[in-house]
Formats: sequence, C-alpha cells, structure tokens
Amino acid sequence: MPVVTVASPKGGAGKSTAAVLLGTELARAGASVVLLDCDPNRSLSIWAERGQVPDRIRVLADIGEGEIIRTVKEHDRDGTVVIVDLEGVASRLVSRAISQADLVLTPMRATSLDANVGARAVRLVAEEEEVIGRKIRHAVVFTMTRAIRSRAHKGIEQSLRGQGLDVMEPPLMERIAFADLFERGGDLHDMPEGGTIANARDNAAAFAQAVIERLTSEDAT
Amino acid sequence: MSEPPPYQIDIRGLRKRPKELAPETESRIDEAAEELGFVEREPRKRRGRPKSPRTGQVHARVLPGFSEEIAAEARRRGVQQGVLIEEAWNLYKEDRGM
Repeated sequence: MPVVTVASPKGGAGKSTAAVLLGTELARAGASVVLLDCDPNRSLSIWAERGQVPDRIRVLADIGEGEIIRTVKEHDRDGTVVIVDLEGVASRLVSRAISQADLVLTPMRATSLDANVGARAVRLVAEEEEVIGRKIRHAVVFTMTRAIRSRAHKGIEQSLRGQGLDVMEPPLMERIAFADLFERGGDLHDMPEGGTIANARDNAAAFAQAVIERLTSEDAT
Repeated sequence: MSEPPPYQIDIRGLRKRPKELAPETESRIDEAAEELGFVEREPRKRRGRPKSPRTGQVHARVLPGFSEEIAAEARRRGVQQGVLIEEAWNLYKEDRGM
C-alpha cells in the first residue's frame, strides 16, 4: 500500500492538518492507516492524545532520520497506507522520507513565501527521482484558502501549473473544524452537527479522493 | 461516525510498490539533499557511556577474600562495586534501625 510523505521546509504550511485529514478520511473509508509523527513539535501525537484515535489508525512518534527508512518499510505492506508528517525544516529526515514515498504532498498557503520555500521540496523530489531512478509522484495542495481566491493565490497557482506542477483540487479551505481537530482529537465526523461542519467534511473527503486518484493512476507506477 | 463515507476506496488499487534502496543509493540521496540544503539536523548522540550519578567516594581497604567476592558479584550483576556497597549500607541501616 502507498506511502504518502507530507513535506515542506516551511513551517505552518498545514502539513499536520493535511496528514490528519487524509489519515482520518482514508481510515473512515476502510483503509488501515499508520501515521508517522516525525515532527519534534509532535502535532500528530497531540491530536492522538486529545481524543479517541479513530478505528484503523495507528500513530507512531519520535521517528528520527536514523529510523525513518526502516520504519516506513516495516509498515509499507498490503492493507496499510503510511502517512509521514515532517517538521517544517530542510533536513535529511525529509529527504529520506521522500525516498520512500509513492506520493509527496506539499501543503502550501497561497503566499509567495510559502511558494518559494515549498519549491525547495519540489526540487528535492526531482533530484531524488534522478538518484533513485524511479518516478516519485508529487503534488501541491493549497491550504487555509478562502472561498474567493485572492489575486495572489491565482497568480501563484498559475505559476505553479505553468511550471508543470500538479496542483490538487480542491484546496484545503481555512476552516475552524480543521483547527478544532487538534483541540478535540478524533475525526470530523465526531464533531457536533451544525455550522459549517458539513462543508468541512466535504472538503476533507474531496481532498482525500484527490489523493487516492493520484495514488491509483497509471502515472503513479 | 454514522453516515456512510462519501466515496469508496478500492483497496486493491492502493498497492505496495517496490522502493528498495541499495546502501550506496541512500548515501547518494543524502549527498544530493545536502547540496539543496537538506542537512543533518538531529543532535549528535554523546559517545560512550553516560556519566555515572555516583560521584561520592569511600575509602575502604578490605581483606583480599572480600575484595575478590565483591568484584565477582558486581561483574555477575553488571553493576559497579559501589552499588553493592550502597545495598550493604542500606541493610546495615535497616538492621540498626537508622
């Protein structure tokens, strides 16, 4: 089963949020998920401690650069999706996690700073593909976006697409429910009905579906 | 958790793909990453054994038989001789109600 590495050297880009949303959605849809918390800030572990970890999800923490390849290999087996959440720094841990990925997901806020720093992850993936001699699928997902896309957002998106990058649709919108996951734990379906929770669930499900499409498409092989 | 998921995953479509790396490839990945600024950031682990918390000292001369037995017992248990002296002292205090 696939390994999804969530990587950007930029902190605060939405990596852990993307990892938790993807993991909980895949688990809800029937897949077994192992979340590897490789971030010293332990965002995924905090999420796991806040509430009941949903069925079919395991969270493993404190994985350093010496253990990452072995740990991914241990869990990369039939029936399990491995999702690696990394710290927002340029480190050897990031490059080693990318070497084991079927899909590298780079969350990015629609700012030029995020785009510039995120571009380093893109270059690293390209470099590793060359060294390893296999294609590593890569996609950018915009995070914390608004319903009406700003001019800056449109410009950055156009520029990324122009460079041949895969920009995922839908983006992850700025939603209180996504932030609340780290307060309450669990998944979006544990949250009380009302407000915009239905929109948040639809957004997360469509995001997970977009990831699945990339993992199962012919180019992923 | 009662609603059905809005989509289904075809688990068969999510298959494991070979990602074996030769050790030399791993080092080449590290080198390529380093050129792009993705460097080792973990603190280096201290070499050797950790410092002992036993900083006190006793000055004891004992008869040859005792010193050999104490040394053999400490070796057998994989502890410092000081641990045995501490245990003996605790027993001594217990015995005297100290």
